[in-house]
Amino acid sequence: MNASCAATLTRDTDHWVGRFVAMASPCEVLIDNGPSSLAQQVLNAVAAEAWRIERRFSRYRIDSAVHNINENAGCETVVDDECANLLDFAATLTRLSDGAFDITSGVLRKAWTFDGGEHVPSQLQLDALLESVGWHKVEWRRPILKLQRGMQIDLGGIGKEYAVDAAALLAERIAPGLSCLINFGGDVAVRNARQGGKQWRVGIENCTRMGAADRVVQLTRGALATSGDSRRFVFRGGHRYSHILDARTGWPVRNAPHSITVAADTCTQAGTITTLAMLQGENAEQMLRASGMRYWMQ
Amino acid sequence: MKDNENLSAALAAATCALLGSAVTTPVAAQEEGSGSGWSFDSTLLYYGESDDRVRDISAAVAALRDFGDERKLSATLTADTLTGASASGAIALNRPQTFTSPSGRAVYTTAAGDVPLDDTFLDTRFALNASWTQPLARLYTFSAGVGFSTEYDYTHLGANLALARDFNKRNTTLSAGVAWSQDDVDPVGGRPLPLSQMLDVGNNGNKRGGGESKDVLDLLLGFTQVLNRTTVLRVNYSYSDSSGYLNDPYKLLSVVDPLTGDTLARAPIGQGPDGVYLFESRPDKRTKQSLYAEVKHAFGTPVMHLAYRYMTDDWGIDSNTLEVRLRWPLGAGYIEPQLRYYTQSAADFYRASLVSGAALPRYASADFRLGDFDATTIGIKYGHGTASGNEWSIRAEYYQQNGTVPREQIIGNQANREQYPDLSAIIVQFGYRFSL
Repeated sequence: MNASCAATLTRDTDHWVGRFVAMASPCEVLIDNGPSSLAQQVLNAVAAEAWRIERRFSRYRIDSAVHNINENAGCETVVDDECANLLDFAATLTRLSDGAFDITSGVLRKAWTFDGGEHVPSQLQLDALLESVGWHKVEWRRPILKLQRGMQIDLGGIGKEYAVDAAALLAERIAPGLSCLINFGGDVAVRNARQGGKQWRVGIENCTRMGAADRVVQLTRGALATSGDSRRFVFRGGHRYSHILDARTGWPVRNAPHSITVAADTCTQAGTITTLAMLQGENAEQMLRASGMRYWMQ
Repeated sequence: MKDNENLSAALAAATCALLGSAVTTPVAAQEEGSGSGWSFDSTLLYYGESDDRVRDISAAVAALRDFGDERKLSATLTADTLTGASASGAIALNRPQTFTSPSGRAVYTTAAGDVPLDDTFLDTRFALNASWTQPLARLYTFSAGVGFSTEYDYTHLGANLALARDFNKRNTTLSAGVAWSQDDVDPVGGRPLPLSQMLDVGNNGNKRGGGESKDVLDLLLGFTQVLNRTTVLRVNYSYSDSSGYLNDPYKLLSVVDPLTGDTLARAPIGQGPDGVYLFESRPDKRTKQSLYAEVKHAFGTPVMHLAYRYMTDDWGIDSNTLEVRLRWPLGAGYIEPQLRYYTQSAADFYRASLVSGAALPRYASADFRLGDFDATTIGIKYGHGTASGNEWSIRAEYYQQNGTVPREQIIGNQANREQYPDLSAIIVQFGYRFSL
């Protein structure tokens, strides 16, 4: 176990705070008043779940299922149920976004560096990479997956929100009825309301108006997810390109909002809506409104 | 996106498959100090009946202040201007008819063949309602409200309390409420004695000055059940008890000849009615019970609202209302067609006219609203969300009412005349909802 693989539990006025690092993000578990042993048990389980999911689905870890799939591109790979569920879900998102969202689009990042500068790749470079992009080129007959040679998948776009929901479910199984707020790098879920009518308060970072008061959402139940490009973008020709790439063109989405936060029943739904809305660019709000979900946009 | 409408539903289904069949908890989130916490719902409504009968222009502003923690204050201010004329209850004749106006200081005449309307109908009403809602304990929600309205001859004062409790992971809500109101009536020209005859101008012998009041007590029991992710059922039972002055002081009955069915003629001394008309008489108690059921179902994004109400009272009126609305998303807005059908049976003491020589009943009214009628409303609403999160809407409705007078109550010449004229009305409403 390395240094980051440690979870710490501390006591706040009326709740417990558990902290650890997973999926390259600071993670937090807030646990409503209860015995410290139970809080410790919940924290340990949540952290273990986050690390488990990271280990299984990170494309950077050579022992992960995703790494294995990518290494096997060109050959058939049998995947387990959990991985198959994520692939099915990703396929649904590709369908819902008419192909703009695609877990095979990660290779495009070889061409794009989002550092706030003006560098953009050549169309030639993008066209070459697009050869290896497109879920329709993948053979997927659950549980058998076959990527074309040179293709890669990346579950980063859905993995963190999935981990939040999975951890929240696990916490509920360990301590039914206990209110826990699971926060993995700003993606949040709560399954039970707190005792005594209290609410968890979640800040939404204000990325455009520096120094302006952050917005605070009182979350009784449900989830929040945020998608944003406060620091990662390209500015060129009077247009602001976000770091979100349209898998059909290989180009970043133009004039998308800086940040979208959505409240939904589950973190997966909230995160998906923010991503799909970002992909709509300047029409993001139209989609958010049509979704009927509560949202905050900057 | 090809299917925006089904996005949320498709996503919910996909998420369910991903996370297993775990019970999802509906999101409950609100922003602290969002804006000023005030939001407003303003409407301007026009209601116009056919043949220049009643016209109402009504403006309302509802202000809602969200204090967080599910504590909310709402206040509504309404101003109405009513003009036009309403049916007095007297029957149409082949000759012109003259009546003393409610003030007792003038006369007005209805042309031959026309249903007599009291055209002195003109009023301005102001109403203010306020209510407070807050959680009382875990799973309990409490609300309390007061209401006040005033118009020229009428004052209303009301108060209500309600308590709701959630069960079953907040999928079930039971509620109970009580409301009380007192209405004071101080009619123009005084209160006519029930079944007293309309007198000549200047003769107020049958009228009593000062106000009378009516008390209404309502009890409400409600049940709301989330049937599944897309369907909600609500059932309400209400019991209402009114007592006090329940007459309409301006409504009349014609006293008719038992053979011809025509109103008995009368020779006024100076100015006065040229027929025999009695003021109506209603019981001083009324008990109503009603049962209301509503289903809301989302077909993806389109939402259907289906509601039915049954009402019965001890005056003999039974009514049934069926309403269906379908909210269909359209770009950044929605379109919502609606259809409502209402039917009621007449009160036991409803009489189209009183027969000369027959025993005078204790209670009698020719008010069409207590008669046997049905009404259909067809309408459409369009709402549009603005970029800043506000919404404007326009609603147009057409209302058609058809009434009947029981055959056995139609005497002689009355059969050749319209006894219960049809009524149609147009309703147009503009709304704008915004937050500060």
